[in-house]
Amino acid sequence: MRSVAIVGAGQTRHARRRKDVTQVALAREAVTSALQDAGLTMDDIDSVVVCSGPVLFAAVNQPEKWLVDAIGARLKPVVRVTSGGGTGLAGALAAVNQIRGGFAERVLVVAYDKLSEGALQYSISTLYDPFWGREFAVGIMGFAAAYWRARMDSLGHTEEAAAMVSVKNHRNALLNPYAHVKKEVSVEDVMNSRPLCWPIKLLDVPPISDGACAVVLSSEDAAKASADPAWIRGIAYYSEAENAANRSMIQSEPLTIAAQRVYKQAGITNPRRQCDVVEVQEPYTCFELSYYEGLGLCPPGGAADLISSGATLIDGDIPVNPSGGCMGANPIGATALIRLAEVAQQVRGRAGNHQIPDARVGLMQAGGGWANLRGVAVVASTKG
Amino acid sequence: MTDGLLTGIDQPQVLETTLSLPYTLTTGRAAGTFLAELGNKRILGSRCDKCARVMTPPQDYCSRCGSASETFVHMPERGTVTAVTRTDRAILALVQLDGSDSGFLHRLAPDSHHAAVGARVRAVWADTPSQSMLDLDCFALDDTGGHAGSAIEVGEVAVVAELAYSLTLHYKHAYGPHYGRLFDELATHRRILGSLCPSCRNVLVPPREFCDACFVRTAQYVDVADTGILQAFSVIHMEFVGQTRKPPYVYAEIVLDGSATRLIHTIAGFDVTTAAERLQIGMPVRAVWKDRADCHGTLDDIDYFEIVTGSERGD
Amino acid sequence: MAVSTLSRVAVVGSAQTMLRASWTELQHVDLIAAAVDAVLRGSGLDMKDVDVVIDCGSDVLDGRSISNCGFLGAMGAHHKEESRVEEDGLFGAVYGTTKIAGGSASVALIVAYSKPSESDVSAYYATLSDPFYQRALGLDHIGAAGLTANQYLTTTDADEEGLLRIAAESWRKVADNPSVDLDRVPSLADIQASPLVADPLRSLQIARPVDGAVAVLLASEQVARRVTDRPVWITGMGAAMDSHFLADRAPGELEACRAAANMAMKRAGITAVSSIGLAEVSGASAAGEAMVIEALGFAPRGHAVDAYSEGATVAINPSGGALPADPIMATGLVRLHEASSRLTGRLGGDVGSRAIVHGAGGLGMQNNCVFIVEV
Repeated sequence: MRSVAIVGAGQTRHARRRKDVTQVALAREAVTSALQDAGLTMDDIDSVVVCSGPVLFAAVNQPEKWLVDAIGARLKPVVRVTSGGGTGLAGALAAVNQIRGGFAERVLVVAYDKLSEGALQYSISTLYDPFWGREFAVGIMGFAAAYWRARMDSLGHTEEAAAMVSVKNHRNALLNPYAHVKKEVSVEDVMNSRPLCWPIKLLDVPPISDGACAVVLSSEDAAKASADPAWIRGIAYYSEAENAANRSMIQSEPLTIAAQRVYKQAGITNPRRQCDVVEVQEPYTCFELSYYEGLGLCPPGGAADLISSGATLIDGDIPVNPSGGCMGANPIGATALIRLAEVAQQVRGRAGNHQIPDARVGLMQAGGGWANLRGVAVVASTKG
Repeated sequence: MTDGLLTGIDQPQVLETTLSLPYTLTTGRAAGTFLAELGNKRILGSRCDKCARVMTPPQDYCSRCGSASETFVHMPERGTVTAVTRTDRAILALVQLDGSDSGFLHRLAPDSHHAAVGARVRAVWADTPSQSMLDLDCFALDDTGGHAGSAIEVGEVAVVAELAYSLTLHYKHAYGPHYGRLFDELATHRRILGSLCPSCRNVLVPPREFCDACFVRTAQYVDVADTGILQAFSVIHMEFVGQTRKPPYVYAEIVLDGSATRLIHTIAGFDVTTAAERLQIGMPVRAVWKDRADCHGTLDDIDYFEIVTGSERGD
Repeated sequence: MAVSTLSRVAVVGSAQTMLRASWTELQHVDLIAAAVDAVLRGSGLDMKDVDVVIDCGSDVLDGRSISNCGFLGAMGAHHKEESRVEEDGLFGAVYGTTKIAGGSASVALIVAYSKPSESDVSAYYATLSDPFYQRALGLDHIGAAGLTANQYLTTTDADEEGLLRIAAESWRKVADNPSVDLDRVPSLADIQASPLVADPLRSLQIARPVDGAVAVLLASEQVARRVTDRPVWITGMGAAMDSHFLADRAPGELEACRAAANMAMKRAGITAVSSIGLAEVSGASAAGEAMVIEALGFAPRGHAVDAYSEGATVAINPSGGALPADPIMATGLVRLHEASSRLTGRLGGDVGSRAIVHGAGGLGMQNNCVFIVEV
């Protein structure tokens, strides 16, 4: 199989509302930054994959068709891959396949959302079957909260444990120049914050953001020009029928399947020991706890102990979300690609103030939909 | 295909829904300035200095070279039609304004039925500006014969930075064979139907043609109970645009007895402000149906699920 | 760019539902599952053999966000790799092909569907447009088709009679296509008498939205050799997107289609289109189809109609093409299904051993995808 590397990554200045740019100009900003980081121009790009959240977020159907001119991709292959919140990773996977399959040597993936423009919970609620349950939908926050409540009983994912995730990610975001939420919070602050969908409280929830991220992926040949490629050592994205019989709602099967597949590709047998840095897409704090278990960073039921132990702090033995994760900025359609870009920059030694010293192997997770679309990737500073 | 299962005689064929979504769009520099100037009855273009091209309406980026367009210019109000079509809605045309290097998509006046490519046209302004492209009402045929000069560079002008926008989309969702039957039974017999997978022997609610996990055609309809287990719940306090009920209420995922799938509903019939303490995962629950007169064959025919207390579980 | 070590990829099966103006008695999941079930039946493969599912559909048409999320079971994607390519189904086939060619899957299931009867097709297309400049004018697929047809006629030697003939050919051929449901087949006179909806185009010259689903099974050479004696090899693929604004595109031609075709033919090592016996293309209108035929190189600019003459070397849209039946997100994948079925002789007739397949998306066919397939 052909090797594929990330040779450039860029993000926009994320904000609650970017009043200075259109949706397409926001995406362009990330593209410019990623190309600059890669030392390339659009002329070097063979193909473009665009990712954004569900189109109802932003009033423009198939927005890649508007975006094409702003990123100078006219007459190139341009396609949009969508997969809810995990779309950025699904797009990166599509790009990896284009390169492995000989369709392109260098692919630009650009992912963005300008969530300030639409009615977020309303549009997410249309995920639900119009005949069957849509009227009860609260985006997916009601759903996420419900199964967190269930995991409290079966796995001990307490409100305090989730609050520690919020504290950690908020603190890490202070180090991240791209994050727009910059405030220190305490466990008490989180516990006392207003319930939105109990047990989810205000400070368990990331901000609503405008932002974009772009990544340049390259074949091994084309990556020779790059001084510090981040090699994709494994990548997978799995799905699960949302109302299949006896769907496991406590431990995510698609996440487990994706993680096992990626670990096999990357030769990882002990992720906690072998990975230097982890970035996960935590739309709510409770999800980060369940990802610890799904990714095998701790045994099932061990997440509360893992966060309490401090191991996932930025100076812990398995730092998770040194960037601050979604807590610092959460432009949903871009978020998964941001996680991938963050681990790539970590293993390239370009992560800035939140750089994990000597990070060589990075693990990332992302997902979307009804917690039924789950992806994982491992990147490393060596090809393996 | 599955016509044998079709029963929905008393059912509407389709469920009509409307999504009515509000937006606040950021216009960006080019469109924002263009719309502001249109309100002042001036047409704005942009010039790509690299390509020496004038684009109308203005663009933030040159579609040819991708550079940011730095300079705005005021365009003449006259131009030439380069393409035209008459539709039920409007006469659409591409108009090349004098001094512009690009076409400008707009409408021609309703009376310009015979306008053809090459026709000269002039701008007609709307009486009341509405911060939209239609502040320029249309282009009308221009028989004055004059050329209207060239593009003039623009100094600082105001910008319409944000635009309120709403998108309304109407749907007619088909019931299909299984939902037709499901809701028919729900309304007339207060019966909840599932379908049985012959391979894994699980009962799937709502009923469906194929088992998701086995990809095997389901064999038959099976009645499931209107009682079940509370698999997960949360207490909704948040309000949001498009919400259909008033917080606080309970979001519940229930597994009905005899089925293996999730049913989304609400738990009520008790003081909801105590829900966090009162409700427990795994609790038995039971459907509380609306009066028959109020049942219309929707999930809403079940008013809510109530907690089945210990003493009631004597069976 | 072709890398010799890549696995060859073949179409090893394809199936579609009947394409109908309206399938009110079935839901999306029923249409999708019917196509998926049909493609597996007799293919020598079952759902366990499928490594990846790629699907093409539209949230806006479906009235549901991340609509693939609700249809995963019907697509057989449960606990498999799955991605939604929100574009014409032929772009989904690009994804599946690269996945197999690169060695990370052996069997890919590509699913595309649309049920435009449930929504407002004009609104679907209008929302594709930028919200500031084009959308406020009421631009939709009809207006875009009319403008591009007008440009085609005014910038080339083509005439309205030629566009009528192209439409008549489509409707004549669809009469022999058992997968398209029609009350009656319109004659040339009917086309001429149909309402002028966006001059120069009449309603029967604009692609008719229909409901339907299509499924295609792609496989690596190893699997293809095992399950079929008539694999249809994918030897070239190309794609290109044009500018968003209609006014920004070259008038009277489809530059993006030409770029996509050049890419596909280069990869397939084709230097002369005379070696291609079959073309299945997705025109948004009679003029759109003409511009595709020219962009693919079957006729000089403005002379597409000549490629439909007796004695032409290529059979164009023996299925009838997209004018009589356009299941919006599925149209290009239906073309791949038709072309592969004909190359293997499943549908009878001799169309040679090599076909070109085209799919498009967007207002005025902004995005284009081209496949070369061979037996």
